[in-house]
Amino acid sequence: MLKIQSLAFSYDDGGFHLQIPEFIMKPGERVAVIGPSGSGKTTLLNLISGITIPERGTIVIDEEEVNRLEDQARRRFRLRNIGFVFQDFELLDYLSVLDNILHPYRIGGVLKLDRSVRERASRLASRLGVADKLQRYPGRLSQGERQRVAICRALLPKRKLVLADEATGNLDPENKIRILDLLFESAGEQDAALLAVTHDHELLTRFDRVVDFRLFRGENSG
Amino acid sequence: MTLLNYRISIACALLCTQLFCQTARAEETTRSIVAVNYPLHFFARTIGGKEVKAEFPLPPEIDPAYWKPEPREVAIFQRADLVLLNGAGYAGWTAYAALPRRKLVDTSAGFRDRYLSVADQVTHSHGPAGDHSHNTTAFTTWLDLSLAAEQAAAVKQALTRTDPENGQSYARRSDKLEKQLLDLDQRMQSAGKVLSGGPVIFSHPVYQYLERAYAIAGTSLHWEPHKEPDAGQWALLQEIATTSGSRLMIWESDPLTRTRDRLHALGIQVVVFDPMANQPKEGDFLSGMERNVRSLEEAAESLQSQGLVNTRE
Amino acid sequence: MIDSLYIAWRYLLFNPARSLTLVACITLVAFLPLSLQLLLDEAERSLRSRSVDTPLLAGAKGSALDLVMNSLYFDDQLPTTVSMGLVERLEQDGLAIPVPLYVRFKTRGFPIVGTTLDYFDFRGLTIGQGRLPALLGECILGSEVATQLGLKAGDHLVSTPENLFDLAGIYPLRMKVVGVLKPSHSEDDRAVFSDLKTTWVIQGLGHGHQDLARTDDPSVILDKSDSNVTANAKLLQYTEINSSNLNAFHFHGSPKAYPLSAVIAYPEDKRSETILRGRYVDSDKYQILVPSEVIDGLLENIFRIKQVLDTVVLIVGLATLLALVLVFTLSIRLRQREMETIFKLGCSRLTMVRLLAAEIAIVVLVSVALGGLLAGATTRFSDVLIRTLIA
Repeated sequence: MLKIQSLAFSYDDGGFHLQIPEFIMKPGERVAVIGPSGSGKTTLLNLISGITIPERGTIVIDEEEVNRLEDQARRRFRLRNIGFVFQDFELLDYLSVLDNILHPYRIGGVLKLDRSVRERASRLASRLGVADKLQRYPGRLSQGERQRVAICRALLPKRKLVLADEATGNLDPENKIRILDLLFESAGEQDAALLAVTHDHELLTRFDRVVDFRLFRGENSG
Repeated sequence: MTLLNYRISIACALLCTQLFCQTARAEETTRSIVAVNYPLHFFARTIGGKEVKAEFPLPPEIDPAYWKPEPREVAIFQRADLVLLNGAGYAGWTAYAALPRRKLVDTSAGFRDRYLSVADQVTHSHGPAGDHSHNTTAFTTWLDLSLAAEQAAAVKQALTRTDPENGQSYARRSDKLEKQLLDLDQRMQSAGKVLSGGPVIFSHPVYQYLERAYAIAGTSLHWEPHKEPDAGQWALLQEIATTSGSRLMIWESDPLTRTRDRLHALGIQVVVFDPMANQPKEGDFLSGMERNVRSLEEAAESLQSQGLVNTRE
Repeated sequence: MIDSLYIAWRYLLFNPARSLTLVACITLVAFLPLSLQLLLDEAERSLRSRSVDTPLLAGAKGSALDLVMNSLYFDDQLPTTVSMGLVERLEQDGLAIPVPLYVRFKTRGFPIVGTTLDYFDFRGLTIGQGRLPALLGECILGSEVATQLGLKAGDHLVSTPENLFDLAGIYPLRMKVVGVLKPSHSEDDRAVFSDLKTTWVIQGLGHGHQDLARTDDPSVILDKSDSNVTANAKLLQYTEINSSNLNAFHFHGSPKAYPLSAVIAYPEDKRSETILRGRYVDSDKYQILVPSEVIDGLLENIFRIKQVLDTVVLIVGLATLLALVLVFTLSIRLRQREMETIFKLGCSRLTMVRLLAAEIAIVVLVSVALGGLLAGATTRFSDVLIRTLIA
């Protein structure tokens, strides 16, 4: 599913250096990434999704070498194949819940919005318990509900890989577990691999595998 | 055979269409002329001929001078292409009716300076305008047949001005009419010469122009032909007859037989001189006037034979 | 594109105050010059068409504009009057057909136009309901007068006294409405027409009274001599003319001296027009003018004002444009985070520009449509507005 080999990345100022000899994820696998702040967890997600380009090495997702794609192709690939769940949910306050869920279909021009998508959206929303709030604006939802909506948005295009960046970071303990379970369940139904960056060590047991980022963090040799 | 039939029917159809078109066009262009009294109507009809549609919407039996038209009757005048007015204050209704000014033709405008004023009206005053009286002009202008000829000429002019194409036809007919009117005028002059010696009595004050034109002096009364005069009226008549020596009374229409008999008994001859203001039951303006003139001629002859008026020199 | 418009539309709906402000600004900027232009076009059209339809106008020497405005647009300002003698003089000249006008009196806010039937022929006015005035005291209504006052043939209308305490003893005249004109989309729709003589009756020049010579009421008579009877104020002055008193109405003095506000003259041809104008060039009493020339002069002034207004509108427009640029620039900053999000989801940076463009397109479109509608509405009421402007 995801295969990273001999990856190297550093920021221009030279203060940060990331090296990943090899990292592989199987389809449907749930992997947690831990590590201290600034260890490059978010950078990893950016590299995987093609937002940033590595200096060396390859990133292959579903047999597509992402880092070799042109800028536009990379974005299209991202829209089609990678789902994002953010710590701050990043819902658009001026769109209703439904419009937020359908948003990836309306921007970018890659995904096609049709009736089947709408039906699936409504099924997914009821699966995640927000079906009765589709016409509401995010401002009138609770934190937990917002994250459910964000999950809906990430999963609706049937992606093979979902990246979660501190997805439960802003939730209360009770919600954390429930949302994570929902995320697992929903991703599992689509056989999507889940790569989650987290600080919540108490949740780690629920993942198939935990990767400590300190392993990848190399000092700049200068 | 069938082909011939076919051709004939086509020809007929074409002819009909053409005829219809011509009629329609004629109807469109025929100008309507309406007059306030019968003499003018007669002039318009005579001079205009087929080229005009002369209308006379006044009811019979009324005096056009004092007619009070209903709005729908005024509308006929409003729609007309030419409205012939007598002028001289005749037909008071024209003063308060809305008429299209540019279509009005004052047929007596040419002799305004020869209008006769009526002296014996009471004036009245109210407000700053001061003294004024109404209807101070005698208006039966056409009883002077030379003025009638001038009015006819005015009608011709108006027709020619608005329809120059038919000007020659109008002129031809107008010339003929003028001659007829002036012939009658001539005969009136002759009769007048005979009658001018002895004053006459008029049943109504409508003969002012006749008096002036033919020098027939007289006194006017207010006698209605169909009403028997009362004692006072008879007394007045006798007084006039005695002082002026009148032997002739001129009536607008036939008086009652009893009135006529009594006048005869008083030695006063009755002559009917119909002003012809309204449409006659029979004949027309010329035949009516001719009859008027003849009556006057006969009366003159009769008075002359009795030696009661001027004898021929 | 539809998706971008949808998202932009949602954004606008979510921020109603901002959206409305934007729309209001652009609407105003679009509407002002547009309606001004339409209004002036309409004013020009209406002023021109009527002045062109009126070849010559004769009246007393004085303000040409007053004469034209009173005669063509029934303006309140009464020019110095001329007498009916001018009509007779023009008739005698034989170069033009004179149509007298007396536009002086009002009834319930509408002008009473005293004229002759020829006016209706020349103006191409036809009766929609009822008939033309036939007798003294009758009037017909322009279509708008009939609608606004809710009157039809058979109703009555009372003339408005010129001043409350009319010492000359001129009583308002109760006129009979006998017809309503078809709409002509001109000033004639907003006027009441009567025969010239009826307006003279309103002025007190023609009047009816009991036949004094025959009255039996001794209290009416002040003095009676053999030839003259003087009446006192108790004398009944008719305020309404009907069939029973119609014949008692009469005019004092010579009709030749009766007043008119102007005379429209329809010359036979161009040559007659030139000769006629020449004849009155040196007149110290009368003037004959070509209304279209006077109106052209008026329009020139209006256009000069319009040029100034155009400049003002241009400056205001520029200021608005700058404000709008500012609003959208700020908007981009406010939506920085949204930009980041959609970028992460896989959109290019240009997506945001497209969304903003869609937003601007909607705002501008709605504003222009609104401005157009408003301008359209303005032209519907342009008659009223123009009259207010001219008056």
